[in-house]
Amino acid sequence: MGLRKATRLGVTGILLSSAALADGHMDGMGPAELLPLAQQEGTVTVYSFTSRIGKVEAAFEAAYPGIDLQGFDISSTEQIARLRAEAQAGVTNADVIYISDTPVVLTALLETGIIAPYVPPRVADRVDAQYQSPLLAQRLSTKVLMYNEEANPDGAPVSNLWELTTDDWRGRVVMVDPLQRGDYLDLMTEIVLRSDEMAAAYEAQFGAPIALDGAANAGEQFIMDLFANDVILVGSTDDVNVAVGALGQDNPPVGFTSYSDRRDNEEEGWALQVANDVAPAPGIIFPAVLALAAEPKNPAAARLVIDFLMGDETETGGPGLAPFYVAGDYVTRTDIPPHPDAVPLDDFSAWRIAPAETATIRAEIGDLVLTLQ
Amino acid sequence: MADMAVNGHGRRVIFQQGTVLKTMVLALLILLIVLPLLRSVLFTLQPDNIRAWSDVLSGRLATSLFYKPLGNTLLIGIVVSVGCVLLGGFLAWLVVMTNVPYRKTIGVMATLPFMIPSFAAALAWGALFRNDRVGGQVGWLQGLGLDIPDWLAWGIVPTLIVLTLHYFSLAFTIIAAALATVNSDLVEAAQIAGAKGRRILMGIILPVTMPALVAAGSLCFAGAVSNFATPALLGLPVRMQTLSTRLFGMIEVGQVGRGYVIGILLVAISAVFLWAGNRIVSGRRSYATITGKGGRAKRFDLRGMRWPLFAIAMTVLVAATIIPVIVLTASSLAPSSANLFSGWTMHYWIGQSDPSFAQGIPGIVHNEDIMRALTVTLALGLAVAITGMGVGLLASYTTARFREGWMSAAITQISFLPLLVPGIAFGAAYIAYLGAPIGPFPALYGTFALLVIAATAYLLPFSVQTGRAVIQQVGGELEESARMTGAGFLRRLGAITVPLAIRGLTAGGILIFVKIIRDLSLVVLLFTPTMPVLSVLAYRYASEGFGQFANAITVVILFISIAATLIANRLQSKSQPWLQN
Repeated sequence: MGLRKATRLGVTGILLSSAALADGHMDGMGPAELLPLAQQEGTVTVYSFTSRIGKVEAAFEAAYPGIDLQGFDISSTEQIARLRAEAQAGVTNADVIYISDTPVVLTALLETGIIAPYVPPRVADRVDAQYQSPLLAQRLSTKVLMYNEEANPDGAPVSNLWELTTDDWRGRVVMVDPLQRGDYLDLMTEIVLRSDEMAAAYEAQFGAPIALDGAANAGEQFIMDLFANDVILVGSTDDVNVAVGALGQDNPPVGFTSYSDRRDNEEEGWALQVANDVAPAPGIIFPAVLALAAEPKNPAAARLVIDFLMGDETETGGPGLAPFYVAGDYVTRTDIPPHPDAVPLDDFSAWRIAPAETATIRAEIGDLVLTLQ
Repeated sequence: MADMAVNGHGRRVIFQQGTVLKTMVLALLILLIVLPLLRSVLFTLQPDNIRAWSDVLSGRLATSLFYKPLGNTLLIGIVVSVGCVLLGGFLAWLVVMTNVPYRKTIGVMATLPFMIPSFAAALAWGALFRNDRVGGQVGWLQGLGLDIPDWLAWGIVPTLIVLTLHYFSLAFTIIAAALATVNSDLVEAAQIAGAKGRRILMGIILPVTMPALVAAGSLCFAGAVSNFATPALLGLPVRMQTLSTRLFGMIEVGQVGRGYVIGILLVAISAVFLWAGNRIVSGRRSYATITGKGGRAKRFDLRGMRWPLFAIAMTVLVAATIIPVIVLTASSLAPSSANLFSGWTMHYWIGQSDPSFAQGIPGIVHNEDIMRALTVTLALGLAVAITGMGVGLLASYTTARFREGWMSAAITQISFLPLLVPGIAFGAAYIAYLGAPIGPFPALYGTFALLVIAATAYLLPFSVQTGRAVIQQVGGELEESARMTGAGFLRRLGAITVPLAIRGLTAGGILIFVKIIRDLSLVVLLFTPTMPVLSVLAYRYASEGFGQFANAITVVILFISIAATLIANRLQSKSQPWLQN
């Protein structure tokens, strides 16, 4: 009895470790080696924080017939909640995780072993080390101040963030509730982390040093003043885009949204443009990362998807990267030329977030925002 | 008799009547409802999370986290429940007891608003009343040149109106069913004694239908305070928070501890209100109005008021049913929601995938995800209607027949509990409860079974309450006669109670089916890619800016709901006897 049990345990152990070995072995494979294994698996599930996964799905299935990519558009915040619940249940639904909100992802998903890093060997030498670890960043995304260029043909109507706290902009600044979308909380957090710059900008705007009124620093004071100035909170980025960008408005508001949503201007009837010159910075720029589930059901197909999402060997990355090769998204691959219509990354004045640092005071800023509502 | 024991002196002592039944039902309800919620409570008591209590109740965040949302929540609950009972009661009275013109039309239309998801009604409100506060596209009325003030476009006023127009049909259904069973003996006796219409209304009909009025008010209160979609869509731009939007926000950003605390407090507050309501009902001894004899009373003659009252009723009904449906349908066809009635296209319904259009999403009939979700949703609706009515019948029968004792009170209170728990919190609790393996039982996360079990538990109040209002009126005398002739429990249930109460039970079944196929809040967390449901897909499309797909799916949900109701009506031709002349 005992012997048989031991044998069974041993067999299980060997099976498990060989599975792990097989998985690990795949890390060194290129797309050509992964493909037959992936086709055997036949399907792969992707959780994506962007609706562009729909385009990726069509392109992937065209490029690799026989593999059914199931893409699910789930906000980063919700992905985190869902992945934690699934891990608790011992269920793995997703093979590939495509997500922003890195301050939370690193602590809640990576350190807890729910997701695992993966860098396709094919592109490893063409992505900066800072974007390979701890997770592979596919591109940089943004939450920045945008305005309506149809109503403001001469450029941004705002040159300093502090203007948004004045009467001129009362009830005319739109953003997503930072308590409902993590990247907006990251934006608020970054404003506080950059309090020195905010203090300097205050003096430049009003000609006097900032006097703190119940706030711990200039960043907090800005958030408090912004909320006191009747900032309008909406439920999703697209609501901001419509509010700010819709054509035919006499006196449109400004708002914080994704620079890359400018790509939809023509299709949606918007006139979104970034206020890049606003002092001290228009907003934040942050990585969108790709990761594997810790134990993906379809390990080969999952790796193939990540490989695909990093773009092929054509000049602009081909169909896998096409949905992301747009003005306002900054692809991390060094050999892909920057998008011609966008402000070059070096000239883009948005703050780069440091996820680990953001994580330290993020909850505190969330509480601050909470008291203002 | 299993539930009787006789001691040496021939007196029943060990078990009171119904004890076995009550114990079974109570155990079932504890498994379905109490344990998942208890898990949430225990979660907030863990050392890591216990601080959430002081944050919510007394810290510097308490005003924002709890007290302000609480004020809004109570205002919504009270205004909406009073409004619904008045409106639903008024319409039920017109349809059941008067000779108002087009009674059938009014009766059918009054049941429709509840089938329209409340988030759809809120979206429709926005399409009409949205002003330029949020910028971007304005609503149709502002587009016509009217200046819509903020208070009418956003916040508490539209929330109250939309929720009242949504929940009043629930009150109508319950009150109409009760009015239809008012015994003609009572009314005729009063008429013979010379009582006038008003006197009969106040002296007989109101008191007799009091359980239904209280049940209707309670259900509307509970529904309104836990509704998430409407205050979220209409309140967020003016930063109006209710406990449910606050709870959702907390869980969304991963502050689960605070979220659960808010949820627990919401449950506690609503429980106080419902306990008070229950006291009012159980203070009276008998509400039996369907007895072995008796017939229909004559209708009140409205005389000159027939058409004016008809006009009032139709104004409300058109606003609550036809307008939202037109707006939803139009916006499932219009590429731009700014111009609802021009440039219509069928792409969102029957178009093939086109990369340059809506991110390449094909029209809904060609969309695999939507078709799979349709199958799952229908199966879920049917399964939950059956399981829900099964448990609901047991519970309502038990509490109606064996009203005495703490166990009956507990059954009533527990079966009410899920109403007070916002769906999203209930979903979260169920993931914690059945998401991980328990002993030999595997984790149910992502399975059809989890959806069915959670939905059955979540919707139990509806099956129990609708069943109860009717069962309570089935006179105990009939069953007692059967018992004296030696019929067992199952026999009595099958031969007397069920046939007499089938109307209420069927109504409950329909209510459950309709409620689950258009429910969003419960399934939004239970949803997994392999087990998709329509409402979540609609919500996802809406939140990603593909409003047309969302509205097209909503129209499908609407169509199924209406079809379900019509089929059920046909199968049960007696289900609305008040419509017969």
